[in-house]
Amino acid sequence: MLEIEGLSRQFNRRSVLRDVSLRLQAGEYVAIVGESGVGKSTLLNLIAGLDRPDCGRLALDGVAYAQLDEDALTRLRRDKLGFVFQAFHVLPHLTVRQNVALPLWLQGLHGAAADRPAQQLLEAVGLGERAASWPRELSGGEMQRVAIARALVHQPSLVLADEPTGNLDPANGAKVLALLAERVRQVGAIGILVTHSPAAAATADRVLHLTSSGLQA
Amino acid sequence: MQRRDFLVALAGLGAFGLDAAAAVEFAPVLPGYRLAFPADHGAHPDFRTEWWYATGWLNLPEGSPLGFQITFFRVRTGIGEENASAFAPRQLILAHAALADPALGHLRHDERSARLGFGRAGFATDQTKVWVNDWRFEQQGDNYRAEVRSAEFAYALDLVTSGPPMLNGRAGFSTKAADLRHTSYYYSRPQLKVDGMVMLAGKTRPVSGQAWLDHEWSSEALAPGAQGWDWIGINLADGSALMAFRLRGAADTALWSAATFRQADGSTRSFPPEAVAFEALRQWRSPRTGIAYPVEWRVRLEQRLFRLQVLMDDQELDSRRSTGAIYWEGAVRLLEDDREVGRGYLEMTGYGEKMRLG
Amino acid sequence: MAVQAVHEAALREFERGLRTMAGAADLQVVGPRGGFDENIYAQLAGRPEVAEASPVLELQVKWAGSESEETLQVLGIDIFALARVTPVLLPKPASTADRLASLAEDNVFLSRAAQTALGRQPGDEIELQAGTQRRRFRIAGDIPGAADNRRLAVMDIAAAQAHFGKLGRLSRIDLKLADDVAPAAARPALQAMLPAGVLIEVPEASAEQAGNLSRAYRVNLTLLAAIALLTGGFLVFSAQALSVVRRRTEFAFLRALGLARRTLFTWLLAEGAIVGLAGGIVGVILGQALAWGALTMLGGDLGAGYFSGLQPTLQFQPLASAVYVALGLLAGVAGAWLPAREAATVSPAQALKAGGETTLLGGRGHPMLGLGLLAASLAACAIPPIDGLPLGGYLAVACLLAGSVLLLPLVAAGIARLLPERGPVPARLAAARLVAAPGHAVVAAAGVLTSVALAAAMAIMVASFRDSVDQWLHQLLPADIYLRAGQTQSSAYLDEALQVQISTVNGVDRSNFTRHANLRLAAGKAPVALIARTILADGSNLPLVGPVRLGEQPAIWISEAMLDLYGWRVGQTVALPLAGQLVELHVAGIWRDYARQTGAIMIDLADYRRLTGDRLANDAGIYLAADANTEQVAAALTAMAGPGVLEISRPGEIRALTLKIFDRTFAVTYLLEAVAIAIGLAGVAASFAALAAARRREFGMLRHLGLSRRQIGWMLAQEGALAAGVGVATGLLAGGAIGLVLIEVVNRQSFHWSMDLHVPWASLALFALGLVALAALAAVLAGRQAMRQDAVLAVREDW
Repeated sequence: MLEIEGLSRQFNRRSVLRDVSLRLQAGEYVAIVGESGVGKSTLLNLIAGLDRPDCGRLALDGVAYAQLDEDALTRLRRDKLGFVFQAFHVLPHLTVRQNVALPLWLQGLHGAAADRPAQQLLEAVGLGERAASWPRELSGGEMQRVAIARALVHQPSLVLADEPTGNLDPANGAKVLALLAERVRQVGAIGILVTHSPAAAATADRVLHLTSSGLQA
Repeated sequence: MQRRDFLVALAGLGAFGLDAAAAVEFAPVLPGYRLAFPADHGAHPDFRTEWWYATGWLNLPEGSPLGFQITFFRVRTGIGEENASAFAPRQLILAHAALADPALGHLRHDERSARLGFGRAGFATDQTKVWVNDWRFEQQGDNYRAEVRSAEFAYALDLVTSGPPMLNGRAGFSTKAADLRHTSYYYSRPQLKVDGMVMLAGKTRPVSGQAWLDHEWSSEALAPGAQGWDWIGINLADGSALMAFRLRGAADTALWSAATFRQADGSTRSFPPEAVAFEALRQWRSPRTGIAYPVEWRVRLEQRLFRLQVLMDDQELDSRRSTGAIYWEGAVRLLEDDREVGRGYLEMTGYGEKMRLG
Repeated sequence: MAVQAVHEAALREFERGLRTMAGAADLQVVGPRGGFDENIYAQLAGRPEVAEASPVLELQVKWAGSESEETLQVLGIDIFALARVTPVLLPKPASTADRLASLAEDNVFLSRAAQTALGRQPGDEIELQAGTQRRRFRIAGDIPGAADNRRLAVMDIAAAQAHFGKLGRLSRIDLKLADDVAPAAARPALQAMLPAGVLIEVPEASAEQAGNLSRAYRVNLTLLAAIALLTGGFLVFSAQALSVVRRRTEFAFLRALGLARRTLFTWLLAEGAIVGLAGGIVGVILGQALAWGALTMLGGDLGAGYFSGLQPTLQFQPLASAVYVALGLLAGVAGAWLPAREAATVSPAQALKAGGETTLLGGRGHPMLGLGLLAASLAACAIPPIDGLPLGGYLAVACLLAGSVLLLPLVAAGIARLLPERGPVPARLAAARLVAAPGHAVVAAAGVLTSVALAAAMAIMVASFRDSVDQWLHQLLPADIYLRAGQTQSSAYLDEALQVQISTVNGVDRSNFTRHANLRLAAGKAPVALIARTILADGSNLPLVGPVRLGEQPAIWISEAMLDLYGWRVGQTVALPLAGQLVELHVAGIWRDYARQTGAIMIDLADYRRLTGDRLANDAGIYLAADANTEQVAAALTAMAGPGVLEISRPGEIRALTLKIFDRTFAVTYLLEAVAIAIGLAGVAASFAALAAARRREFGMLRHLGLSRRQIGWMLAQEGALAAGVGVATGLLAGGAIGLVLIEVVNRQSFHWSMDLHVPWASLALFALGLVALAALAAVLAGRQAMRQDAVLAVREDW
């Protein structure tokens, strides 16, 4: 369960986020939409533990993490969070399977212990046969499916996807969004999709609008 | 006579009475010694300096005149008398040769020098025979042969004698100053008939003419106070011969003079200082050195008055580069009553800077 | 550049000295150090083709109060002959001197520079050492034609012969030929008149010999400088390559906007050229400063001892400087070439695509070409020296370097494969990066490889050399004390009476005397040293290399240089000119000689004395009686002659001094190595700095995934270490090979001596580890900016 209460953040005395609250249960998949500059990225950074709020509370699975130190936040991301980025960020010098296994490596799993789940997830995203390929051999859509597999391989509690289709054509984008929604639900994680595309947002269970006055359904 | 002492000094080597030489006993010049020939034609290595000095007039086939001069100096340095090295510079031979060619207007000259040994230079003591490298002056019978080779000129001349040596001074004992210490043994061979070849400007041509030879040896230095000297050796057309010299003091004053005159019949007379006078009539200034030399003279020998006329004004020898000396040595005509009566050589030294002598 | 400048200065000085010596001579007759019979002079001077012959007796003479290595070059001359052959050497008596001064037996003329150097003036006295005596001379004037020669003195030849025990001997005759005779025409006829061991040479030959002597050493240094330059070229290459990578989207964008391929290419080349030009100019300035420092501290031979007695002055050389600046420019252009071509040829669409930076850096190299070059280096080693220079060796070194650079990607991949699959994530990522994109590592490693190869090769060579020299000294200096009559072998000696006296000094058990002479064996070649000392019949007291074969004739033992320069072989019978006679001798063995590059022959002293009649000695090795006190014996020995005449040294001191000189000689090589290493490390740092910027998003993503900042640092450190490790490993291999080439080919061909391989394992290992650690540090420092917090957010930067 992700709990957000009264989250505020200022930059140079300009308030970017004010009193944002949200509570999401495991398995819930929401989209956050909003115009540029309303603080979507700031909110995402706060949720990801990459930034600290000025005030407010953040808790994942009952663990409050708004004021944890950096090492703890790093561990939190490693264990509980999965990310899908607009620019894929698949490491070019790792094979497809290694890219997916990377979060498992970070948890200290090696060899088959890392490869097996990675392979399973690759098959789940339809890339089982490309496991030994290099990222440069993949198309954009395939790359993002690798990224989705990587975001889910360590069974995170929370998956954050930031404009995952921004670099894809509409057809591929739709497929990736469908896959993301399906896989997030499959692992029972909380999914947060940040986008400004209404079509993309529509793939979520519900859509929240971020405005200067807060999050609204 | 000191003029040759002086030349040796000019050759860069002839400094005497100094430490190096002090230890060596040079043979003295003594009055009463009777010159004996042919032995005294040879070298006298026990004496400090010695020279054979030939000067004369030559005629090219077409008749134009040349003056020539060749000198061989022998110097006993007093150095290395005990040195076992074959290079020990106990005796040096220095040779100087010049050719006066009115067509060129100044002298061609060159020199050679070497220490005795290794066949590079040497002399004989029983006859005249002295050489350095491929230059030589040598007696053959009673006659002489001179050979000189240089890049610019060369000559090979036979000098044929006419009569016995002419002894200067008192039977060859020649006094150079009032002080009797300054003396030398000195004889001349005037009226030498010359035949030979001269190489000039790349062409070798036969020549003939008249020459004069001096042979002199001594161990003494130049008298103190002497600035330079003037010397003549003239073959007169009538077969007689005149040698005269004077030593000059600081203000062109004559410190000493002497002369020898031999008649065609061989009778010879020596003249005391008061019988000889030199008077300069005309100056010529060298464009190279700026030194002025008298190039016309009146010479008085008792009652006889002669005039000296040079073959050409510029017979200055500038050998500063090699030996450091600048002097004038050249062919002259002897006139009496404005008539040419003889030809010979004039030598003038000490007209430049004050000479540096040991 | 520094090397060049120092050497030009020294060589100029040296050549000027030699020109003065030779003057206007058309030909020179030269003989062994002991000189030759003076009657040769008479024969030559009388020849029609000889216009003038000037006999010279040349001596190296110590003066009272001189440092042990300082000597005057005293020429005994005949001024009369000299005036026509080499007038520049004419002495000029001081104005106060006697006019016969130049002949006087106790007079010596010193050049102005020598007067200044010795602090004497005309009129002063100077004591020169003759044999074990000191003789007093008066300084009678100077030598206007050679005023700058700091070591020159002349005196009359007869005086020199008598004072220095050289009666009947000449060391040289300078010949002026008749106007119409060409030197080449006269030479054979004149040579035919000369006895064995006396040769006719064109005066330039000695200048060449001297030049050759230091040339090999100089070329060695120049090679090092070239390698430093090469490393610099790699630096430009990596900097440029990475800056292209970083800006590839920028270029792609410009290309998309219509910037022509050619223009982009030219632009990037110009960038490289400017970097190279700036580097060249800075390099020349630094080089001049270094050269100045080196000249001041080490002397003109950079400590190698070839130009003793000279005081070269440094001059700015516009041409050489221009060449070096041009080389820097060239290195810049060459380094920028590949990246520029890559940037210009890649299609804008491809370049705009994310992750495309691997194209440039993922290359696999050219392994076949690399292997081919390595094979070529083997072949190059077999090339004999050309004009006395080991060009084949240098070619081999170049091939080895180029080949190993080309093989670097292969090595990188191989090393990556060896890395464990397990282990901490940073290590795995670093390893994976090396496996997949060795190009980056190669860019960083190439510079490291070059510098490591250089350093390792030099270290191995120097260590082998030093070790071998040490061994050699042990073998050559077995006695307890060495006594010698001064450094100069031409004017200082121990005569027979003194030899007997030495043997009877209380506490001396026995003494071995050594006579140093030299021989002229071939025109145009430097003289060969002849060393007569007590040699055991089987040569076992010599530092022998290879087998011994004894023969019927008296044995000689030749140094390795004789093998190379004269082609002599063990077992061969050779004719040596001893005392003017050709004597048949048997080459019994080969010994190692580090002292004389122009060749040396050892002969038993008894044989030498029997064959030459020369009974003098230059030094004595003294074995002490069991109960003798070294200090007392030494004091008793030195007391035999005037103070300062006899020098006593102990083998320990000699060894220490030799090794000190050795170390000083190679100090400059360490300096160059350090420069190369610094350049190599700078290359690592530069490449990581450049890539770190390009990899900000990668780092950001990894931080998202849960890598801590420290882990990223570790990853960078390990990447740096891996890249450097690849370079170091390959560099060590290449360096080992180059070291072997230096020892077996370059040194053998330049200096004609062999050495035992001695690999300084410990210091190499330490050096390798240190370099890897430094590279890791450099990588971390260079990547620091990418690890900052704000970089984490770069992941979501929009395009």
